[in-house]
Amino acid sequence: MAHRVDHEYDYLFKIVLIGDSGVGKSNILSRFTRNEFSLDSKSTIGVEFATKTLQIEAKTVKAQIWDTAGQERYRAITSAYYRGAVGALLVYDITKKQTFDNVQRWLRELRDHADSNIVIMMAGNKSDLTHLRAVSENDGQEFAEKEGLSFLETSALESHNVEKAFQTVLTEIYHIINKKALAAQEAARNSGPPGQGTTIHVVDSSDAGSSKSSCCSS
Amino acid sequence: MVMKKKSVPEWLNSPLWYSKPPDDRPISHYNTKTLRPDSSPPPPPPPPPLSKSPSLPALLGSERSDLPSGEPSPCHPWLEEEPRDSELLVDFRITVRVTLHVVAAPSEQLLLGYFPLDHTLWALELEKKMKQYNKLKDDLLLNPSEITRRMEASAATKTEELANENIGLLSRSEIKHEEHPLSLSKTSVWNQYFQEAEILEQIDRDVKRTHPEMEFFCGDSPIAKTNQEALRRILIIFTKLNPSIKYVQGMHEVVAPLFYVFRNDLDGTNATFAEADTFFCFAELLNIFRDNFCKQLDYSVVGIQSKMEKLSQLLKRHDEELWRHLEVITKVIYLQVSPQFYAFRWISILLMREFNLTECLHIWDVLLSDPEGPQETLLRICCAMLILVRRRLLAGDFIANLKLLQNFPNTNISHILHIANKLRGPTVD
Repeated sequence: MAHRVDHEYDYLFKIVLIGDSGVGKSNILSRFTRNEFSLDSKSTIGVEFATKTLQIEAKTVKAQIWDTAGQERYRAITSAYYRGAVGALLVYDITKKQTFDNVQRWLRELRDHADSNIVIMMAGNKSDLTHLRAVSENDGQEFAEKEGLSFLETSALESHNVEKAFQTVLTEIYHIINKKALAAQEAARNSGPPGQGTTIHVVDSSDAGSSKSSCCSS
Repeated sequence: MVMKKKSVPEWLNSPLWYSKPPDDRPISHYNTKTLRPDSSPPPPPPPPPLSKSPSLPALLGSERSDLPSGEPSPCHPWLEEEPRDSELLVDFRITVRVTLHVVAAPSEQLLLGYFPLDHTLWALELEKKMKQYNKLKDDLLLNPSEITRRMEASAATKTEELANENIGLLSRSEIKHEEHPLSLSKTSVWNQYFQEAEILEQIDRDVKRTHPEMEFFCGDSPIAKTNQEALRRILIIFTKLNPSIKYVQGMHEVVAPLFYVFRNDLDGTNATFAEADTFFCFAELLNIFRDNFCKQLDYSVVGIQSKMEKLSQLLKRHDEELWRHLEVITKVIYLQVSPQFYAFRWISILLMREFNLTECLHIWDVLLSDPEGPQETLLRICCAMLILVRRRLLAGDFIANLKLLQNFPNTNISHILHIANKLRGPTVD
């Protein structure tokens, strides 16, 4: 179930930004939400938060993006922020092989803490630093296909593919919701004669205190 | 509309505490030249004496006499007039040097002081600390090649000595074949070196991102480079001496203000000791707040989660209406504005990101000298910050409130400290 709160937007989707420290998560976020980039931005402590409203197939979608600290120490804390997230942008740095190798660990992290239907986009950031490249685009593409993730190389500095990465994730989420809504209508039509009340059990898949915004929970 | 609740004390609803109406100006953090907010509400009436022991600087004799202007200082400079930057630095140096040990071990009081109360002895103390620090640098900042060279040299001497003592008996025990860069042995210095490399990279990355708006810390100037090197060494030595917590992102923000005040000591000699001085004070400060950085303690009674829970309870006790709005009403509509979304950063790096450096020194000064101890004082200050923007919070939803709290508006620090001071002691039930 997606959130329909007021006339400002039709849907509210929660997205998390994850990946190793220093890969450029905060700059991806500031590029997307404020069209800003800073070479000497500060490190993220805990979690930072921003929103952006955009149009997806004639619907107004508000993306609520949570930027998390990359260091290992913060994972225990930040895992709580995954709750209710319907999309994730998993970022690595194309000039640092280690950050690509760690993508696997981040996927495990998502599997452990996020909704199993979460839509994941892997982003190889800093694509402008071609002379320092340590991970080929092909390697990224192959890995993404193997893991069933969307993939793009991005450059927050040059504003390349950042908007597209978020658009892709949000559109995919929107399609999943639409499909679910259709399926639900279908199910409603097929369940008994009209007029007869049908009990719908609304099950909140997450535990108490969690978000109700998850569109992918069953 | 602000409802008068039984549990909300009268003073809480005073219009004095309301922050400026929301505006969309970017927050000009680190505009360190001015402490005075441009269009703040009228200053509050002088509050009852603050926690900061007024006797402390007096006890110490006045380091302020070093200052060019010898104006008598007001009892509570942060309330009656905004302190000048230089005064603030002096005050803060005194607080840090003298009180860190005191608050860390109140029962021992000044006996354990990092610095003796008599500040004529400080020069001597600084020299002692400098020697200790140099020894640490010598021992801990060697690269593996140097370590192995030293080990080989000492092994060779020992073998020679043994050979001389027991002619004919060859001792093999001292000969190590594991000390090379490709060694798989866990005890190999090279292996340890590579394991540490990740942390060292992290420290490097963060040190370079410390206060990017201040030339003192960032940029290509020789001063910035030297200062970055000093911060780097301090953090590496701390990491090596504290293998259980190592380096955690955010520590760089805690060490920076200490280094800034010591490096800017008007006494040039003291300034040359800044790195050693900072290291020991940082270690003391972390002694008090280290549990916040420790992942293993996150969910224990001393970990950061429980601190955030305490903040929530403190707010509930003093301003139930606001607490209810943030943690109950907003939750019904969408999501609870839980302290973990905003106070994690406030608490773990002692508010360093929420205000500019000068304002932070002002806050830290109170934090470290309050008789209730820095932990309790920090939570009271955090709670005061919430109360200060209560009207905007009460009008806001989840998203608006989170944005407000993650980008705390320009504020008169005196107001925050004044409210924080009011929050101590018995509460109205």
